[in-house]
Amino acid sequence: MGCGVTKTSEFNKRCDRAMKAAVLIQRWYRQYVARMEMRRRYTWNIFQSMEYSDLQDQIKLYNFLGYLVDNFTPSSSERNLISHIFRENEVCRDAEWERYFSYTNIDVPDIYSGPRLTFPLDMDQAADLVEAFKNKQQLHSRYVLQLLLETWKLLRVLPNINRVSTCHSKEITICGDLHGQLEDLLLIFYKNGMPSLEKPYVFNGDYVDRGKDSIEILLILFAFLLVHPGDVYLNRGNHEDHIINLRYGFTKEVLGKYKMHGKRILKLLQKIFSWLPLVTVIDHRVLVVHGGISDTTDLGLIARVDRHRYVSALRPPKKKNASRSNLYTDTAINEMIFCKNRRGSLTFPKQFGSRDSFQRRSLQDFSSTVARTVEEELEVRRRQAEFSLSSFSMSHRNLNSLSSESDPDSSENTETSNEEWKQILDLLWSDPMSQDGCIPNEIRGGGCYWGPDVTEDFLNRHNLQLIIRSHECKQDGYEFCHNRKVLTLFSASNYYDVGSNRGAFVRLGPDLVPYFVQYQATSMTRGLSFPQSVKRTEHTALKVLREQLFAHKSQLISAFQEFDKEKTGLISLNNWASAVEQVLHLDLPWRVLRPQLVSDTTDSMLNYYCWFRDLALKKPSSENVEQTLLETLYRHRSTLETIFRIVDTDNSGLISFEDFRQTLKLLSAYLKMEISDEAINDLVISTDTNNDGSIDIDEFMEAFRLVDRTRLESSRSLQMFKQENQDQPQEEETQQTADYASPQTAVSQNADSAGQQTADSPDSQAADSAGSQTEDTCHNSLVPPQ
Amino acid sequence: MQLRSFAEGIKLLKDHSHCFLSSHTLIFAVMAPKKPEPKKEAAKPAPPPEPEKPKEPEFDPKSITIEFTAEQIEEFKEAFLLFDRTPTGEMKITYAQCGEVMRALGQNPTNAEVLKVLGKPKPEEMTSKLIDFETFLPMFQHVSKSKDQGTFEDFVEGLRVFDKEGNGTVMGAELRHVLATLGEKMTESEVEQLMTGLEDGNGCVNYEAFVKHVMTV
Repeated sequence: MGCGVTKTSEFNKRCDRAMKAAVLIQRWYRQYVARMEMRRRYTWNIFQSMEYSDLQDQIKLYNFLGYLVDNFTPSSSERNLISHIFRENEVCRDAEWERYFSYTNIDVPDIYSGPRLTFPLDMDQAADLVEAFKNKQQLHSRYVLQLLLETWKLLRVLPNINRVSTCHSKEITICGDLHGQLEDLLLIFYKNGMPSLEKPYVFNGDYVDRGKDSIEILLILFAFLLVHPGDVYLNRGNHEDHIINLRYGFTKEVLGKYKMHGKRILKLLQKIFSWLPLVTVIDHRVLVVHGGISDTTDLGLIARVDRHRYVSALRPPKKKNASRSNLYTDTAINEMIFCKNRRGSLTFPKQFGSRDSFQRRSLQDFSSTVARTVEEELEVRRRQAEFSLSSFSMSHRNLNSLSSESDPDSSENTETSNEEWKQILDLLWSDPMSQDGCIPNEIRGGGCYWGPDVTEDFLNRHNLQLIIRSHECKQDGYEFCHNRKVLTLFSASNYYDVGSNRGAFVRLGPDLVPYFVQYQATSMTRGLSFPQSVKRTEHTALKVLREQLFAHKSQLISAFQEFDKEKTGLISLNNWASAVEQVLHLDLPWRVLRPQLVSDTTDSMLNYYCWFRDLALKKPSSENVEQTLLETLYRHRSTLETIFRIVDTDNSGLISFEDFRQTLKLLSAYLKMEISDEAINDLVISTDTNNDGSIDIDEFMEAFRLVDRTRLESSRSLQMFKQENQDQPQEEETQQTADYASPQTAVSQNADSAGQQTADSPDSQAADSAGSQTEDTCHNSLVPPQ
Repeated sequence: MQLRSFAEGIKLLKDHSHCFLSSHTLIFAVMAPKKPEPKKEAAKPAPPPEPEKPKEPEFDPKSITIEFTAEQIEEFKEAFLLFDRTPTGEMKITYAQCGEVMRALGQNPTNAEVLKVLGKPKPEEMTSKLIDFETFLPMFQHVSKSKDQGTFEDFVEGLRVFDKEGNGTVMGAELRHVLATLGEKMTESEVEQLMTGLEDGNGCVNYEAFVKHVMTV
C-alpha cells in the first residue's frame, strides 16, 4: 500500500487519500461498466429488431408470391415469368434419382489436394475432412455427391423421432443453430471432442444459411453420421428447406463453390433435408426439437407421418382434386387472427403496432395456394406435351401416390395432410412466449407462439421433463424460460455481428442435469483491437437502422410535418423520437440512440431535411429515379433479389431485361403503385447494365446501399467535442494504449490457455483464420432438473 | 471534466471509442459490505453522506422536487426500460440494478449512496425487490444533485496518489490490491476486467490514458 509508516498523522493522511482515491476509481469504473451495459443492450435490441424486420421481409416475399399466384393466370402476359418462378422440379422415381445424382463419371483431377473419400467412411476420414475444411480446402463435387447419396440412404431408414439414451454413463452433447458458421463447429469440437461412441451428439437443426460455410458444416455432420450412426443425431430445422435457402444464402453458396455440379448437389440436399428426422427424445424425458411445440403437438402423430413429403415450408404434400373451398378456409381463419395486443414473445416482448399493410398470410395458407398452381401448371404442361409420356405418367403417379387414387374421401386426406403439415410446421417454426395460450406466429408466418401452460400440458401428456429447442438467438448462447422447462440453445456465436452474442452447447448425463459451455469465436477480430471490433458491431447495428429509416423516408417526413405545421424544417428531439417510433414500430430507445443517428442539432431542434440528405443512397445517379419508387424498391429489395435469383435459373447472375421489367411491374401492381416504363428504364440505366439485354443482379442490388456516413459524422462530432473541451488531449480513434483486451479472456473462470492459437496456423490472415483461435469462456452452471 | 448532464454524457458517448462488453457476465451487481443499521432520523433530505459523519439521515423521496425537463425524463425512461429484465416486461428493475442504471445515465454514485436512496435495503432484497420508473426518478434526481461527483482531475489525482515515482504510471499490482481492499471493494473479477490490457511489460499502468478511456465512454 502507498501508506508511509513514519509519522502517524502523515500515515493517516495518506491512508485517507488512498481511500478516497480508491472510492473515486471504483465509482468511475462502475459507471463505465454501466454505460457499456446500456450500449450493449440497445445494440442487442437493434439486432433483434433487425431480425424482426428481416423476418418481415420473408413475409413480404410470401405475400408477393401469393399475390402472383392469386392474380395471374397462365394466360396472362406475365405467364412466362410466373411459371418461371413456380417451376416445379421434375419429379422422378427413386431409381431415376440415383441415376441423376451419379457421381461415377465425375473425374477428380490429380492436382486436387483435398480429401479423397472412400466408402464406407471411417473415423480417420471424418477427422481428415474436418482438418481439410479447417484449412480452407473444398471437397470435390464427386465426393460431395457420393457422401450425400450415402447420407440419403441412411436417413431414409431413420424414424421421425430419434431416440437416444444416456446409458453407460454417456453424456450427450446437444448443439443448437450453427448457420454456416464453421468456426463455431470447430470450436465445439475443440472444446468437447468430435462425435464418437463415447461422445454422442444431437444437432438441433439450422445448419445452413447466413454463414459462409454451410456446405462444409453439412458435410462434416453427415460424415460423422455415416461413421457413427448410433451416436450422431440430426434434427431438421426450418432452414433445412430449399426455398428458405434461396432467400438466406445457402443456395448461393453452393452454386458459387460448385459451379458445375451445384444444382445437382442442391437437388440432392433438397431430398436429404426432407428426410431429416424431426425430433429427438433423450431417455424418454427430454425432447430436443428445433422450433418448439404448439397446443396440438402430438408425438404419436409425429411418429407416424411421412416426413419426406414435406419438402418445403412453401410446398406441402401435393393434393389431388383439392377444391378451392377447402384451401381457403385456412386463409380466412388466419387473416382473422390479428394479434394487435400481443405481448410477451420472449424475443419481442413489447407491443407491436400494425406494420405495413401486408396481408398476413401464414405459410400454411400460402403453401396450399401454391400447390394448386403447381397442379394447374402440370395440367398446362400435359396439354402441351412437354413431358414424354413415360416420365409424365411417372411423375403424375408420384403426385397422386400421396393421396389415394380411389378417392372417395379425398377431403379427408387433405385434412390429414393439413393436420400433419401443421404439426411439422409447429415443430420447426414455433417460439415460446411468456403468456399462457397458443397463438399463430405471424412474425415468422409459420408455427405458433406457445405459453407456459402449453409446455406444462405437453410435458405431462408425454411424460417428459424438459424441452430443448433452438431457433432463436440468445445473447448468452442459451436461455431458460417457462419455469426452466424450456431451454433455448443457440450455437452460432457472433450471429448478428462480431461480439453480438455467445454460442453455447449443453451436455446431459444420466442425471439429465444440463451442463453448459459458452464460447465466442474470435477469428473475425484477429488484427482488430478490442475497441475496434466492438465499434464494428455497433456500426453494423446502426447501419441497419439507417436503412430502415431511409426505407420509410416519405412516411417519416409526413410524420415530422405533423409536428411542424409551419414547415420550418425543424422538429424538437422529443417529437422526432415519437415520430420515428410511430412510423417504424421498432420499439427502440430512440432518444438514447439519437446521437448516433443524428448529428445536426441546434438548440435541441433537428433539421430533418438536412438529416435526410445525409441519409442517402450511395449511387448519385439514382437521383434521376423518382424518390417514392426508389424508396419502395428499397423496402422490398430483398423480395426483388429473391425473385431475381429464382428466375435466374442458370445461375448466371444475370436476368433478362424482360424478366426484370415484368418483375417490377408485378411488384408495383401488387403494391398498387404506378410504375411507368420510363421509370423502369431510368432504373435500368442508373444501374449501369452491360447493354446486352441483361441485368447483373448483384450490381442492381448494390445500388441499394446507403452512403456510409459514420466516418463523416464521427469526425464532425469530434470537432465539436474538441471545441468544448480545449484543455483535453485529443482522443484518437485508433488509440491502442488504454485498450481493453477482449473481456472474454478476463472473465473466464476455467480459461484454456491452450485455446489460443499461435501464429503457426497456415492461414493466419486477418479475416480468415479458422479453427482453434478461440476465446474460451467456460461457464459451468449446474442446473437442477425441472 | 464533469459529466453534468445526461445529454452531455451521451454526446461523449457518441464521440469516442465505443467499447462494447460482449460478455454478459461482466456486469456484477456490486454491493457494499453490509452496513450497520442507521439510527432512526427525522425524514429529511440530506447531503450525500461522508464517511466521517456518524449519523446519516434517511432518504425521503417525497421531499425531492424533480428538476429534469420532460425531454430528459423521456430519455431516462428509455434507458431505464433497457434494463428491464422482468420476464413479462413490467417496466421495473431490481434494487440491485439501480446503481447500474444511475451510472448508465451518467451519474457515478458510490454504492453507499445508492443504498441510501434505496432506503437501506437488506442484501436479500436487492435481487428480489423491484422498482418502477416513478419510484426511481426521485432517487435519481437526488443522486444527480450530489456535489461530490468528482472531476477528471480528481480522478487523475486519485490515481496519482499511487504514483510513487511521479512518472505518470502506477504499479498494476498495487492498484489491484487497493481496489480490492479499500473503499467500496471491487471483486477479483471486476478488478481483472478493469486491469486487463492496461499493464505494460513491466506491470505498470499509464493512468492518464486509462482515465481518459474510462471517462469517455
